[in-house]
Amino acid sequence: MSKSSLLIDRRTCLRGLGATLALPLLEVMGWAEVAKKGRAAVKPPVRLGFMYMPHGVIMDQFWPATPESFLTAPPPALESLRGVLDQCLMMKGIAGIPIAPFNGAPHALELSTWLTAQLPDARQRNRINISISADQIAANYVGALTALPSLELATMPQTHKENQEGLNEGYYSHCSFRSATQAVPAEINPRSVLNRLFNQDTAGTGGKAGGTPQANALDQSMLDLVIGGAKDLRRKLPQDDQHKLDEYLDSVRAVERRIAAIEHRQKEAALEAAGVSSSKRKASDSPPIEIKIPVGDKRSEYMQVMCDLNVLAFQTDTTRVSTYIGSTPNGVSYPELGFKDEHHSQTHHNNQPDKVGKVEAITAFNIAQFAYMVKKMHSLREGDGTLLDNCIMMWGSGLEDGNKHSRENLPFIIAGKGGGSLHTGRFLPNLKGNQGDLLTTLLACSGVPLDRPIGIATKQLTEMKAGGV
Amino acid sequence: MYRGDVRVMLLVGCALTWTLSAADVQPPASAAVAPVPASKPVSKTPPQTVPLSGDAALAVLREATKKTFNDKVAPFVKTYCYECHGDKRRKGGVFFPPAMKNPGDAAYRRHWKTGLATVNAHDMPPDDADKQPTDAERQMFMDWVGQLKYLSPKDPGAFVIRRLTKTEYGNTLHDLLGVSAEVVKELPDEVAGEGYLNTLSPLQMEQYLGIANEVLNRALSAPGTAPTAVEQRLFGAAPAADVKTAARNVARKLARSAYRRPAMEAELDVLMQVFDLAQRNKLAYPAALRLMLKAVLVSPQFLYITPAIEAAPGSQIVPLDDWMLASRLSYLLWATMPDAELSALADAGTLHEPAVLQAQVRRLLKDARARALFDGFGAQWLGLGDLADKTFDTTKFPQMTPALRTAMYDEARLFFSSIVRDNSSVVSFVQSDYTFLNGALAAIYGMEQSVTGPEMRRVKLTDANRGGILGMPGILAMTSFPNRTSPVKRGVWVLEQVLGQHVPPAPPNVPTLEKQDKKKIANLTLRQRTELHRTNVVCANCHKILDPIGFGLENFDAIGRWRAQDDTGGAIDAGGELPGGKRFTTPKELKGIIATRKDDLARNLTEKLLAYALCRELEGYDEIEVDHLIADLKPEGYRMQSLIAAVVSSYPFTHRRIVESLTTASNVKK
Repeated sequence: MSKSSLLIDRRTCLRGLGATLALPLLEVMGWAEVAKKGRAAVKPPVRLGFMYMPHGVIMDQFWPATPESFLTAPPPALESLRGVLDQCLMMKGIAGIPIAPFNGAPHALELSTWLTAQLPDARQRNRINISISADQIAANYVGALTALPSLELATMPQTHKENQEGLNEGYYSHCSFRSATQAVPAEINPRSVLNRLFNQDTAGTGGKAGGTPQANALDQSMLDLVIGGAKDLRRKLPQDDQHKLDEYLDSVRAVERRIAAIEHRQKEAALEAAGVSSSKRKASDSPPIEIKIPVGDKRSEYMQVMCDLNVLAFQTDTTRVSTYIGSTPNGVSYPELGFKDEHHSQTHHNNQPDKVGKVEAITAFNIAQFAYMVKKMHSLREGDGTLLDNCIMMWGSGLEDGNKHSRENLPFIIAGKGGGSLHTGRFLPNLKGNQGDLLTTLLACSGVPLDRPIGIATKQLTEMKAGGV
Repeated sequence: MYRGDVRVMLLVGCALTWTLSAADVQPPASAAVAPVPASKPVSKTPPQTVPLSGDAALAVLREATKKTFNDKVAPFVKTYCYECHGDKRRKGGVFFPPAMKNPGDAAYRRHWKTGLATVNAHDMPPDDADKQPTDAERQMFMDWVGQLKYLSPKDPGAFVIRRLTKTEYGNTLHDLLGVSAEVVKELPDEVAGEGYLNTLSPLQMEQYLGIANEVLNRALSAPGTAPTAVEQRLFGAAPAADVKTAARNVARKLARSAYRRPAMEAELDVLMQVFDLAQRNKLAYPAALRLMLKAVLVSPQFLYITPAIEAAPGSQIVPLDDWMLASRLSYLLWATMPDAELSALADAGTLHEPAVLQAQVRRLLKDARARALFDGFGAQWLGLGDLADKTFDTTKFPQMTPALRTAMYDEARLFFSSIVRDNSSVVSFVQSDYTFLNGALAAIYGMEQSVTGPEMRRVKLTDANRGGILGMPGILAMTSFPNRTSPVKRGVWVLEQVLGQHVPPAPPNVPTLEKQDKKKIANLTLRQRTELHRTNVVCANCHKILDPIGFGLENFDAIGRWRAQDDTGGAIDAGGELPGGKRFTTPKELKGIIATRKDDLARNLTEKLLAYALCRELEGYDEIEVDHLIADLKPEGYRMQSLIAAVVSSYPFTHRRIVESLTTASNVKK
């Protein structure tokens, strides 16, 4: 994929390649069409997804007993992944970044370091200053090829108020950072996500980008002028203000790209309706999955519809990068499991069996939602394999053990073969590395060229890769 | 006050003290500011008055602080701390040399404050260290940390151009175009004030464009239909000739309201380019103006609070121009754009004049829109923001319906507004003889006989255990677990939210109440069990301060109803003693004791409001500014309107630093 993109002029990408909204992965990147023309087959793009659970796990319920038993007798926490364990990869020995001098803020750090492998700037705790996160590095590279550079999902408003160690509140509920100073908010309303993916208007929300082609073209030209004005303003302002305007400019450009994508899609649809060209969906690809937005407030249904949206976004190549904060460190409870206790309060269990049991149940519940998502991906055909074959889905937590706030052995599950780059179906019990190494490896496997390691990374974990046994 | 008669509490590894607040380690500042002889405990030293004021007095204090540092503190740190935290070792990640080179740097403030807490607690130096400081040396070090603020340069902090919050953006669209503020509901929710995340992402920008389309559909007429009133007001009639001049005039007017300042000519040029673009695309005059208005609504000048005037080259700190000040004030108190009167004062260039500014604060506070100050600040301060969503045990508390929760929230809101509107003393937050109730909420008070019906009204209270935020059901409920009270949470809430002290979080892996031997605790009340927990030495130091306060409120159950027995059937013992020997036996007496701590109440509220107003945590110089505000407010008895006006008039609110850091750093020369 990386090679193809180099062949295409960027503007062309902007105008044309994001246009696959609502249609399964097209050949726009050339991966199927090129094959037709008899050249070497180009693979479908690799999609990269992250799903988070706070507070760590009960270790002896999570780690497989031995590499051999991983597939045959998985530990209780992984029960829901039976059937796709051969598509999964687990590795023990991934250390989190040590959080001193922020020892008093373990939960802000578990989330904000999760995809950055980097500590906040201790000199400016007041404001967000950490580093770009792995998902946004990927989005910067592949985001220009799709309608949305990345998708950020969550199930709780990101409004937690707490500032232990003087840290900005944003560190408690964000894990995606578009730059060192720019936290990326997540969407928590499935209907808004659906509208965003499909550019649909629903009653009350109305007026999303995407009117008539003429109106879209006009909007784009208008935005170009506004961008010009913003650049003028930027020149007149002090440096700190200029950074804010950079965020603005970056965001407006993303909107322009999206409008271009919509425009392209409308043209395609018109051509198809007129019988000029037929649908580009390949016979081997599954039709887009259906989204049912739940009416009740069952947590499993809520988490699953967000999973469905993630699957759909990947299936239709609307984005290639997603981050899903399954739950934040604060205030989540799971009445479906038969108790109302809040997650955090149970993780300080001091080995009391009832609390340990509740943490186990919560962990298994979260993994089951992840299993739901990856199983769905595995059920969808794409090219010669399944959608999951072309994904790298990482599930994990930012703590090892929520009772002690330890971070020496962070729990992760990787699902998907990453287009053949990962060797799945294995448990690696003695991997020595840190969370930065892991992120660096996953980005490399999804074809993102890195000019520097992520956070504290020092190496790639070649043991995880195909051929790296 | 306990000041002077109580020994500073010793706590393990934390900064929690009952008596040691900033107010204690600084001289009482009035017109004159006194330097503190740092070698003796402050509380025992009568302040020396220096007949200086303002910057000159600060300079004196700064020099004294530097001198103490060089003469005493630096040797202290080198002698007692450097073995583990010096050039060779960085035990626990603590490393003093950079802080020693520039002790006043804001980056090291936390360093010193942690040092104060650990030295105070005799945590540091550790027991097995070779050398131990004397008590007098410890006191000297602690006193100096209290004066650290004097090393901070006079700095208002950066006021980086700020994006409107979701609430502000909705209200502004309402004021500008008459659409419902609900139009923004799809945007992600945000924290207002201190902790506000001033960032923008593609997601939000997309939504801004979508919302702009929606707003224009609602506010403007469809093609071929009669213009709406908003349209007539904004666009005027279509001109017969000289369309461009007319359009430029419309642009100027639109930008003045939407950008909340006069537009620069270059900014009008951009809007005119949009107009021309529309005309080239054969759009009629109203449609061209519509596109121009859309451009306004997605421009950074609308989405952010931006300065009207370019700062002079080389300047480091500038006063806010009057338009920016009008916006900052209006968004603080109303969460919306400045109204006509504020805008006119900004245009006249008089808003920054102290008398004008103060009068405007009082005018804005009388307006109904000032409820935004409670929704944004008050609710956050009192911890009521999440009341609607908090989980309660519905079998035990079936009455916690959405309607009752709303009533609880409104009680606090109306109470807060009454104190603001009546310009009452901040002490009324703790002690008052009235509240606001409706029928449902009156049942919690046991007053359902006298108060009925759904509407909230002011009610006189006869039970002195009630009245004020300490006996308010919404707050008592928010500081409880879903199914029982939490004396610890309530204690922490009183210390942090009412008295402004910092309570460190419990260390991980600490045995909680449930860990206790079931047989041993079978017949104990919650209080007795909590006290048992305090026999653990790790917990005792903090809890002996927290718990008595929480126990004093044990007569209120987890949703704020009065009770004489706790869940076990044991009698409630709401008595206790606070450090310093102040005894109480009822919530009423506890409130009485807390109400005497006027200075702490006022300082806390001032600090919290200032941080909210500045959208950032307070640091270095802000502490000095708070000292000044407190000194000004004290003679009048800390009245609420005056307090708000003082915050608005303060140096950091009316100025902004426009460079990353000041070049006049206060390095201590050796």
